Amino acid sequence: MKNYKSTILIGLGLITLMVACKKQETFPVDKVTIQYVFDPRDSAGTNALKYLLNIYNVLKNGGNRVGGNYLDAASDDAVSSATGQAVTDLATGTYSSIDLPSDENVWSTTNSTNTFNYWSGIRYANEFVDNIPVVPVMGETNGVSTRYIWQSEARFLRAYFYFELVKRFGGVPLLGNTVYNINDNLSLPRASFADCISYIVNECSAIQDSLVTVPLVSPNSDNYRATKGAAMALKAKVLLYAASPLYNSSTNTNPLLGYTSYDPTRWQAAATAAQALINLNTYSLDPSYLNVFMQQNDPEVIFIRTVDNGTTIEKDNGPVGFPSNLAQGITSPTQELVDSYPMMNGLAITDPTSGYDPNNPYNNRDPRLGYNILYNGHPWLNTTIATYEGGANKPNNGQQQTVTGYYMRKFMGPQETQNNYANHDEDWVIFRYAEVLLDFAEAQNEVEAAPGGDVYAALTALRKRAGIAEGTGNYGLTAGMTQSQMRTVIQNERRIEMPFEEQRFFDIRRWQIAPTVMNTPLMGVTINNSNGNLTYNYVPVLTPKFTAPKMYVYPIPYDEVLKNPNMKQNPGW
Amino acid sequence: MRKIILFFQIIITLLPAALYAQSRTITGTVRDVDGFLPGASVVEKGLPTNGTVTNTAGKFTITLKGSSNTIIVKFVGYIQQELHVTGTHIDVNMTTNSQGLDEVSVVGYGKTTRITNTGAVSTINAADVREVPTANVQNTLAGRLPGFFSQQSSGQPGKDASDFFIRGVSSLNSGGNQPLIIVDDIEYTYDQLQQINVNEIETISILKDASTTAIYGIKGANGVLVVTTRRGKTGAPKINLRVEGGLQSNTITPTFLDAYQSALLVDQAETNDNSTSTNPKPLSFSANDLALYQNGTDPYGHPNVDWYNEIFNKYSYQTNANLDISGGTDKVKYFISGGALDQNGDVKYFPDPRGIVNNNYYFTRYDFRSNLDLKANKTLDLRLDVTTRFSDLNEPLAEGAVGQIYDFTTETPFTAPYLNPNGSYAYAYSPFNPAHLPTLNARLASGGNENSKRTDYNVLFNAVQKLNSITDGLTATARVAYSSTEQYTAEIAPSDAAIPSYHYNSVNNSYTLNPNGSYVFPPYNQLGQTDIYTNDVNIQLFANYDRTFGGKNHFTGLLLFNQDASTTYANSAIILDPLLVGVPAKYRGISLKVGYDFDGKYLFDFNSAYNGTDRFAPGHRYGYFPAVSAGYNINKEKFFNNLFPVFGLFKIRGSYGVVGSDYAPGNRYVYTQYYTQGNGYNFGTSETDYKTIYENSLANPDVVWEKQKELDLGLDMNLLKDNKLSVTFDYFHNVRYDQLITPAAIPAVLGVGLPAVNLGRTENGGYDGQVGYHTAIGKIQFNSSFVFSYAKNKILYEDEPQPAYPNLARTGHSIGQPFGYHFLGYYTAADVATIKAYEAAHGGSNAGDQVVAVPDNGEVIQPGDLKYQDLNHDGVINVYDQKAIGNPNLPNTTLGLNLQAAYKGLSVSVLFQGSFNYSFIVTGTGIEPFQSQFQPIMLQAWTPANAGNAQFPRLTQDPTTVNSPTFYPSDYWLVNAYYVRLKTLEIRYQLPTSMLPFHLTSGSIYLSCYNLITWDDYDKYQQDPEVATNTVGDAYINQRVVNLGVSAGF
Repeated sequence: MKNYKSTILIGLGLITLMVACKKQETFPVDKVTIQYVFDPRDSAGTNALKYLLNIYNVLKNGGNRVGGNYLDAASDDAVSSATGQAVTDLATGTYSSIDLPSDENVWSTTNSTNTFNYWSGIRYANEFVDNIPVVPVMGETNGVSTRYIWQSEARFLRAYFYFELVKRFGGVPLLGNTVYNINDNLSLPRASFADCISYIVNECSAIQDSLVTVPLVSPNSDNYRATKGAAMALKAKVLLYAASPLYNSSTNTNPLLGYTSYDPTRWQAAATAAQALINLNTYSLDPSYLNVFMQQNDPEVIFIRTVDNGTTIEKDNGPVGFPSNLAQGITSPTQELVDSYPMMNGLAITDPTSGYDPNNPYNNRDPRLGYNILYNGHPWLNTTIATYEGGANKPNNGQQQTVTGYYMRKFMGPQETQNNYANHDEDWVIFRYAEVLLDFAEAQNEVEAAPGGDVYAALTALRKRAGIAEGTGNYGLTAGMTQSQMRTVIQNERRIEMPFEEQRFFDIRRWQIAPTVMNTPLMGVTINNSNGNLTYNYVPVLTPKFTAPKMYVYPIPYDEVLKNPNMKQNPGW
Repeated sequence: MRKIILFFQIIITLLPAALYAQSRTITGTVRDVDGFLPGASVVEKGLPTNGTVTNTAGKFTITLKGSSNTIIVKFVGYIQQELHVTGTHIDVNMTTNSQGLDEVSVVGYGKTTRITNTGAVSTINAADVREVPTANVQNTLAGRLPGFFSQQSSGQPGKDASDFFIRGVSSLNSGGNQPLIIVDDIEYTYDQLQQINVNEIETISILKDASTTAIYGIKGANGVLVVTTRRGKTGAPKINLRVEGGLQSNTITPTFLDAYQSALLVDQAETNDNSTSTNPKPLSFSANDLALYQNGTDPYGHPNVDWYNEIFNKYSYQTNANLDISGGTDKVKYFISGGALDQNGDVKYFPDPRGIVNNNYYFTRYDFRSNLDLKANKTLDLRLDVTTRFSDLNEPLAEGAVGQIYDFTTETPFTAPYLNPNGSYAYAYSPFNPAHLPTLNARLASGGNENSKRTDYNVLFNAVQKLNSITDGLTATARVAYSSTEQYTAEIAPSDAAIPSYHYNSVNNSYTLNPNGSYVFPPYNQLGQTDIYTNDVNIQLFANYDRTFGGKNHFTGLLLFNQDASTTYANSAIILDPLLVGVPAKYRGISLKVGYDFDGKYLFDFNSAYNGTDRFAPGHRYGYFPAVSAGYNINKEKFFNNLFPVFGLFKIRGSYGVVGSDYAPGNRYVYTQYYTQGNGYNFGTSETDYKTIYENSLANPDVVWEKQKELDLGLDMNLLKDNKLSVTFDYFHNVRYDQLITPAAIPAVLGVGLPAVNLGRTENGGYDGQVGYHTAIGKIQFNSSFVFSYAKNKILYEDEPQPAYPNLARTGHSIGQPFGYHFLGYYTAADVATIKAYEAAHGGSNAGDQVVAVPDNGEVIQPGDLKYQDLNHDGVINVYDQKAIGNPNLPNTTLGLNLQAAYKGLSVSVLFQGSFNYSFIVTGTGIEPFQSQFQPIMLQAWTPANAGNAQFPRLTQDPTTVNSPTFYPSDYWLVNAYYVRLKTLEIRYQLPTSMLPFHLTSGSIYLSCYNLITWDDYDKYQQDPEVATNTVGDAYINQRVVNLGVSAGF
């Protein structure tokens, strides 16, 4: 009996020990630490590269980015077809520091899975810049070590993220290369606008020669990386913004929001920077305007945020009434944008000699009208768009449809003659050569007493590519314009060349025309079809609101001001 | 032979009373609801020495010698009965007494009694809730256990388990408030608990204070639910069979307006919207349309379908069957049981066009348990418990069938006919349904299903060695428990959403295929995956000591070593943190419990644990959690007994201690920083998808468990003759500190996610208790108890940045306090004129208007819109004007009143349960026009005609106006609610032994009901009062069950 008892006890004890002492992992085997990411033994830099590529992930795809709409639907170029949209709040000024639409709150919108605000991007770039030196990455391109190229890419991205913050909020804290921790003093004050601009510009200058250049030595691995051209384009754009009336003003007294004095040399700096990129002779206008947004490795494209192939853009923005596709038609371009396109001969429709026919308003227009906007009668999917009242694409049956009588055409595949939407490349173009020409023209026009041939040349290149008739050689531009006349022309050219590219929203601010264009009702068209006789009536569709100077910048998010006693709120918010 | 006995019994019963002599012998049986009670004591009144006990078959024989003709029947845990005996045979039915002096409460690793207990414990005998017709044990406890709070927010078969909390909630850390669940001293998960068959349960206790939970140490702070299962008792095999079937129906059935009324309201909303629009639209329904909807002469062109009644049955059935066998000898005791539960859902049967798929909700469960006790020799006891549970849960893949019924964008009465005249399916053909979805019956019939099969196993092996050779009263126990759960989900899904559905044109009698449809049904795809696999190994070694010295000095002791490793492998869709998967979570600790009492008068207990988990960094893993408690049975003092002889028990007790909670939100490894694979980024000429890595949330290397200081003061009283009245009262005050919350005051410039930090602090206080009373009037036994619980918490610190206005501060309010606007009334035409005048004078802005404030959403205010208070007087209604409104969703007060009456074999038991002081708000498809189908309350929407007695704001198609509870939560929408439910009703008739056929030893029939009647105080929402707040009201409504059962014992 005694033995029996002990046997059981010993047996139990053994089971206990076996279970208790079995070797089990104490930590997830797939866990990755910083030592693994920046591994001093990894001469291929495999994980460091993965980390760098994720910084690119912070770049935003502008396609239907803001609550499902293009940011341009918050400008005078378009309105949203849907109700209750974040872009409409932006257009009507119904937002404040507590409810800045989350997609435009690039300051503090919290990370959901893999969507990052720009402060995250800056942190990641800093962590990369600080840690990449320990990784013994082999290889070099054009005499620059791969490790240094990568570091420069991170610095470029960081500079770009700062610019995205500054153009929305004014001066922001500059972190340098510091990777902060939770216990550090994070009550950082905002740097002045001037300091932010010079930081970004200096970074671009410092790194531009260490980035890869076009044509790429190894396009298979390097295509779509930040290039020297990208850094130069960023610099040109930042300098152009800094020289613009909003920031380059002697009436401004708040150093967070701009310079406090006017300095004409800022225009010169901007023009020089753009000229330098033009002089590289690396990039050129694509003869086909539509191809720029469709085609990979386009000669005009300088820097993109890559996006998978698909038909997302068509589904979100395509005209309603093509039943097999359930397109939502969410972007409704305004009559104002349509009217800003000249005629094929390059003359504005307001010009009595332009040949504009109010009863046939889309006939014989700048081809870019049709490249960017779908209007009644535009060929599409083997048929023609019918946006007259009750037409197939404006059925008035209660479902969402265009509110202006127009749909966005841009970014969609060449689908005028196809039967259905086909997958295509949906990359988001951040910098393209056409913008550099416009940057140059705008800055150079302010430098010269009267616009010279170089300004004209930049514009005529764009108009020629667009397909405007050469006419007497100026593609419809009046010869011998004054600086002020030319300024108007350049601003219009920027609008019609680059709609829906997240330019107009900021352009109307830096040119300080937002108080004018965003305080008058935005218009659409209603077309009545009486047995094929079309009559056009222009109706208001949205009353936007712009309060100056408050709305030139966004408010710093409410919580951020509470959390940081040194965080100065923007005036008026 | 038996028949002969029966014959004689009947003869004897019929003999006149006058035949009775001074000394006579009577026989009888003593039973409870489960059958005979062996070991009950039977004594003659007035002659305490003349007594006997019932034998293993529950029978007794006693010869009465005195003149009282009365016997007293007693058994531990049951109400004592005095019975006047007129015949020679008597059947005694005993009812349980939860407040008796000897009533045993199960606590961690031991038991205590009402006299000796010094902590806050509430116990019920599971026999009291066994017949409640619900699948989950936690659904039966509301209103029965003081300190138990629960909320049942769904009635879906298999997903209807209540959330429950002990003494409310204390942690800001969402998910950090779940009580520890202990079944037979082994930790169970929530999911495992809800699978347990109540028939297998013996007792259920909740441990509420530090002295009872301290031995669980780092896991004790949320209270502990302790379940013990039934075990065999010495005696002949006892077989119990119980079969029941019931009808389930909604506690509340939503009604929606018909096509005519809905169309009228659509036009009303459009008229409202047109009045301020720059671009007025024609009304959707013409006078002709309205007439056709009203007279129903065009049922296909102008359909009028009551979708709720077309899709759902009024009743669905459930059945439950249990069989158990128990008994034993000195050497072996056994309890073996099996149960089968089948609950059907309330969706009607829509013939699948291919006849393959069951589209209804259902839940079936089979439970098996074998609890064996073996006496290996005089000093060694062994125990082997094996239990398995198999369940099968089905739901339509067109999931949210319940929710879609509310959804205006998918179903309206005028959307489509139920079927076209030729029997084909119709699709939504209304301007409000641009997606042209086929009707719900079509989608349910062809939409496939999702089916989860789950298996739970638990095995427990236990050996107790008496160590009297070392010292008397010492035992050593070793225990190994293994559990595992596996769940596999299979989905039968159509390979394409396009199904044949047609629009029938009643004018020209033509059919048009749905533009998103197809001419044939697509084939099904079958997909399946293992959702979850867990296993858990728990080892416990402990020594128990229990000895009395000198008759009065009673010592108890427990020293416990406990180690647990549990591993979860889960589908990433279920557990988002990949780091939780596949790595064992480990727990280890030593607990010590020491008790001393002097003559049952002065009671002292010391409980403590030194334990920890690998959730925290090495060096921060183990914590020490001590608690002391003491009790004083004053009625054992002579002076007290002389002064107040009415008290059978008068005990004061108190406890104080610290317990912990190791639940850390999110990343299990808060203490280490890690890097995660991110989305790919396309690179290279061909845009290859490259892998990326990013820095995950920062680490907090110093993270430790949450701690709670708990004070409990209690009073236990039994008074009146036979302890007829009993009272238990507990006051408690807890402070939870070092709570793991995400810091809120770190600027976003940091650029990375934040870890949980030990920052939060809350307090939670209240009281709970129970008053029990039992009596007998003639032969009717009455037993009643009143249970009350109140727990209110307050946030003391949550790292909240200084808010711009004091009304926005959350600190100082309760956890989960809703914030919103304060409703002042409806905007009037005069208000609108005032606004217009002010805006005209101030550049189109209303900012600064002190008279009438306007929301800052850019919408034009119309009369009939909801007007909210402008708390900061800036003329604008925005987030700054929100303040605390109402109460959190979890009730802070819950009451239960249990009444039982028994007359011979007939007994009636009712439980009224009420919850008070809570709020909820329903949004979206639950209430908002053009998101929800039109509901009757919308008929009372504001119009100029009924401006005086509007019950609903002006109707509008715009979903974002000030009238939306989603965008403008307010006390207009928030319901401050209470409810009282006739939670359970049970009527049972236990057949007298004489009527039992065959060889039955007991038999009864019973009617039991669940959620029979509900009283509440709101009419805004057509929802069960336990609906979860801020939902769109699409939960499967809680069920009322009326159930009929029979039970028989052999």
